[in-house]
Amino acid sequence: MKNFNLKSMMFDGICGAFLLLVLLVVIMNPTEEQQLQLGFNASLAGLFFVGSALLSWFLTHSGVRTWGEQIFLPPQKKAHEKAEAFLKTVWGWQALVVLVVTFIVGLAKTKFSIVELSDPDGFAGAMRLFQGIFNPDWSLLPKAVLNIIETIFMAFIATALAIPFAFVLSFLAAKNIMKGPIPFAIYMLLRTLLNVTRSVEALIWAIIFSVWVGIGPFAGMMALMIHSIASLAKQYSEMVESVNDGPIEGILSTGATRLQVVWFAIVPQVILPYISFTVYRWDINVRMATIIGLVGGGGIGTLLIQYQGQAMWPQVGCIIVVIAVVVWLLDQASAYLREALK
Amino acid sequence: MSAPLLSIKNLKKTYENGTQALKGISFDVQKGEFLVVIGLSGSGKSTLLRCINRLHDPTSGEILFYGQDIAKAKGDEVREVRKKIGMIFQHFNLVPRYSVLKNVLMGRLGTMKPIASLLGLFSQKDQEKALSYLKLVGIQEKAALRADNLSGGQQQRVAIARALTQGPDLLLADEPVASLDPATCHVVMDYLKKVNQELGITIICNLHFLSLVRQYATRVIAMKGGEIVFQGSPNDISEEWFEKIYGEGAKEVHIN
Repeated sequence: MKNFNLKSMMFDGICGAFLLLVLLVVIMNPTEEQQLQLGFNASLAGLFFVGSALLSWFLTHSGVRTWGEQIFLPPQKKAHEKAEAFLKTVWGWQALVVLVVTFIVGLAKTKFSIVELSDPDGFAGAMRLFQGIFNPDWSLLPKAVLNIIETIFMAFIATALAIPFAFVLSFLAAKNIMKGPIPFAIYMLLRTLLNVTRSVEALIWAIIFSVWVGIGPFAGMMALMIHSIASLAKQYSEMVESVNDGPIEGILSTGATRLQVVWFAIVPQVILPYISFTVYRWDINVRMATIIGLVGGGGIGTLLIQYQGQAMWPQVGCIIVVIAVVVWLLDQASAYLREALK
Repeated sequence: MSAPLLSIKNLKKTYENGTQALKGISFDVQKGEFLVVIGLSGSGKSTLLRCINRLHDPTSGEILFYGQDIAKAKGDEVREVRKKIGMIFQHFNLVPRYSVLKNVLMGRLGTMKPIASLLGLFSQKDQEKALSYLKLVGIQEKAALRADNLSGGQQQRVAIARALTQGPDLLLADEPVASLDPATCHVVMDYLKKVNQELGITIICNLHFLSLVRQYATRVIAMKGGEIVFQGSPNDISEEWFEKIYGEGAKEVHIN
């Protein structure tokens, strides 16, 4: 089967299974206990998925254009079709129904409520909070500054320690370098490992390390470092994969080793983008370090959560101002730096 | 006649996408020759050169270099072969951010100890060698400039110096003047001729222009669709042969 057919069937299958499940919930109005029957419900979903995918296959083969086909059909196959009005097509209606139903289900799931938003008590509470935040208690400023310095250095060390690991990994995770069966296996393994590491948020790593090494800046730094290694290695390796082949051939033809080719033909091409990514990563890490502080990663975030917990809004206001100013300054500085490094 | 420097026997190359770039090619190259390979784009000229120094792996056939088959050489053997075979490219393939001298020194990488090379510790002798070859191609005064500040013709001369610094017995030139203007073209070709005649380095060169072939080649091979269609002296290429190689209606263009 052609690749796009499979993708298109899977896409339509997911759409169909979703619609059928929603329909079932509306008709049957299941109890919470029934909703928690994961095994049974999942097999039902699977059944719906297979059924819808088969329906998609049938429709496609009888000349009806489904939404999945519309998305995944290669452009050159669509080149000679005339454009039709969106609502005169089957796929158009399919798209509309799926999107509208998703939106409605979303509103129900998030318990969206105008009543809550306009509740006078709640609104008054929010006003008190804003009043506090907009009248910062500046006596906390020295402490906040001290803490944000801790945060900045936490982010800096996390970035700095990540660089050598990411640098080495970036070549091992680049397809154009890892040619041959064994190197390719290493490449696949590393790619998967990096993707898994990256998909675990820094926040989760912070929780892990705050148990491992105790609450404080060290836990936060470790969390940021792990996340930075994975992110930088990914970005670096994409740079390596997009280098110009010319110098590589040139150096290779002199009888150089693989390592010499990397060092003399690839590194000079990627070094500026590397620095640029690294500066940006530091910038991101400062912002992330603040959040990580909330779960015990030290720095300004930990200070913030202390005062927030006691509802001391003027103090929280002061901390927010300090964070905003530092993040804005770093953002500007890193933008200028990256511009200059182009 | 003594044993040929290079002897290609029934060389075939099929790319992964199924394209048959070389369909069984055989020819010999004697020491000291200036062999020019002509043919349309896609005729397999580039593939041929890249198979000789193993930038591409041939599918089958033999490549005898000094009588030894290098078609199936692996790893370090390939590197030993490459050290003896210099190559220059259409797009020069210098490292743009390095100085001219450092680019030329790249030619010594194959002979250096790994650690010393990664630290950039090129010996006094290597540096002198590199400078002398820069002098040979007439741009020693540009040694300290960044390679990407040079014009195309100058960059190609740096590339020649890099290849010479390897101390090669054979020089492969893949369309060395195809991205240069006609005037610069002759300068570069003249340096190749000088390398061939004064240093006695055998040259295999891919070219487009027949007028250049007559001026520089000692022997010609014409390729079409992955096969050799003509072998002989450049003066033997007649109008008829020319049309056979380049297709009906092709006209010879002279560049001066």
